[in-house]
Amino acid sequence: MGLLLKIEWLKIKKYPAFWWMLAIVMLTYPSINYMFYNVYTSFTKGKEMTNNIAKMLLGNPFAFPETFHTVAYFSSFFVLLPAILVIMLITNEYNYRTHKQNIIDGWSRKEFMGSKLIDVAIISFVVMTVYMLVALSFGIYADPDNIGRIGEQLHYIPMFFLQTFAQLSIAFLLGYLVKKAFIALGIFLFYYLVVENILVAYLKYKKIAITRFLPFEVSDNILVTPAFTGNFGKDAKEGYELALTLVGEQVIYTCIYTIIIWIICFKVHSKRDLA
Amino acid sequence: METVLQLDGVSKAYKQVKALKQVSLSIPKGSVFGILGPNGSGKTTMMSIVLDVLGADAGTYSWFNQPPTADARKRIGSLLETPNFYHYLSAVDNLKITSAISGRGNDQAIDEVLEIVKLTERKKSKFSTYSLGMKQRLAIAGALLGNPEVLLLDEPTNGLDPVGILEIRELIKRLADRGITIIIASHLLDEVEKICTHVAILKRGSLLTSGPVDEVLSNEDIVEIAAADMHALRACIGDMPNVLSVKEDNHRIQIHFPSGIANMESINQFCFNKGITLNLLLHKKQRLESKFFELTND
Repeated sequence: MGLLLKIEWLKIKKYPAFWWMLAIVMLTYPSINYMFYNVYTSFTKGKEMTNNIAKMLLGNPFAFPETFHTVAYFSSFFVLLPAILVIMLITNEYNYRTHKQNIIDGWSRKEFMGSKLIDVAIISFVVMTVYMLVALSFGIYADPDNIGRIGEQLHYIPMFFLQTFAQLSIAFLLGYLVKKAFIALGIFLFYYLVVENILVAYLKYKKIAITRFLPFEVSDNILVTPAFTGNFGKDAKEGYELALTLVGEQVIYTCIYTIIIWIICFKVHSKRDLA
Repeated sequence: METVLQLDGVSKAYKQVKALKQVSLSIPKGSVFGILGPNGSGKTTMMSIVLDVLGADAGTYSWFNQPPTADARKRIGSLLETPNFYHYLSAVDNLKITSAISGRGNDQAIDEVLEIVKLTERKKSKFSTYSLGMKQRLAIAGALLGNPEVLLLDEPTNGLDPVGILEIRELIKRLADRGITIIIASHLLDEVEKICTHVAILKRGSLLTSGPVDEVLSNEDIVEIAAADMHALRACIGDMPNVLSVKEDNHRIQIHFPSGIANMESINQFCFNKGITLNLLLHKKQRLESKFFELTND
């Protein structure tokens, strides 16, 4: 395990795309959250009645402990960035034929796939770390008085990791099976941005309650919309509370889906000719 | 003799194409084993199977008299088909990965093998900036790293210039002298003949022959003769005993005898008795090239 991690780090640490991804994530996460933070402050900073109502309804979603939830939700929109890297890392192995060389040099098929699992875990961990730092910074910046409540919603950190890891595992599966970076990326983008959204809209319209089991929705529903969205009337409150009660189930389903993805990868790789 | 690699009835098909048909082969420890065959004969398929890159449809193989494992592969330095390295990494960083996976060699060993293949000056350049020959040299360096017990080289001189080919040939000879088992697939017959102790010939997936080079080549004795009166010489050969076949080329006659039969003195005496004085009498060793064409031509 330690050796696999060391070897994967040797491959990743000098891969320019890794550092580009990290730089873009480090720009994007604070930016998207800062954008929403600005919207929030512009609604609430005045002395008018409406401003006070807005403040009452929204609370401060960027103060502790809510920041961990809010920042996780907005940051998770950008799973595409690390997904590109995950797809590149596996398709590179085909492109350079190092998927063969690693075996020739003495890895078992299982070790090779284990190393790729570690890749996805490393990237999820790095992304999670950026999220964590952004959430902490917003918490301290938005309301320093609330710092005492820092520990109340820390469970969003592992939940953010799980969602990222689950969605990156789907990206990996595509890259692994398709082998060509651009085709895998095309399928990923098309499904993630178009197909699943249409499916969700259609199934909701038809009142068929299975959307939460779709490949991305299953983990999207781990990070429900920020708490303030439940403050806009009875329906919104019920909807928010229902989503919240389902989080536990969604975590379990996400784990099951992700385990199945990796079982498929390990099984296919144990038999596949490495052409 | 101790066996390094043993194949028993190994077969492999790609859809309709049968790439390997029931190949059984034994590679003794310390040998320089040449695997010959025209393009598409199954050389690379066979090597890919014993390195677990491809799965065999039937048959088994063993390394070091044990069922094949990843750990067994760590003892083998291999170059299969093409140099496979991370394009964005330098020679040193690529070899660090090879070393970490195989457990062979360390930083000093990396420098040593890069020196052997003459890449020291470019060791920090990215693999993507290398010429074809340099990439091949790096692949050879990867195979040599950490002194493996066995070297498995698939067309090791691909892309090398004549000096490079000579250097690799000398290197292989030096390694063989140190007792390393070397398995080498090539279609450069001259190459194999110069360095191999054993040879196997494949054609369309079937093993035609295998064994020590002398045994494979010496199933016939070849004697080349010539005389001023070629017409009379030709006529007298008809009466010569034990002749298998006769070929004539460039004012010389090649007589093929069963292995171990040809005797220069008696041939000379025979012709002299018939009133012919030979101006050429040569016991020729069969060239691998002629054996190869004899076996692989339809």
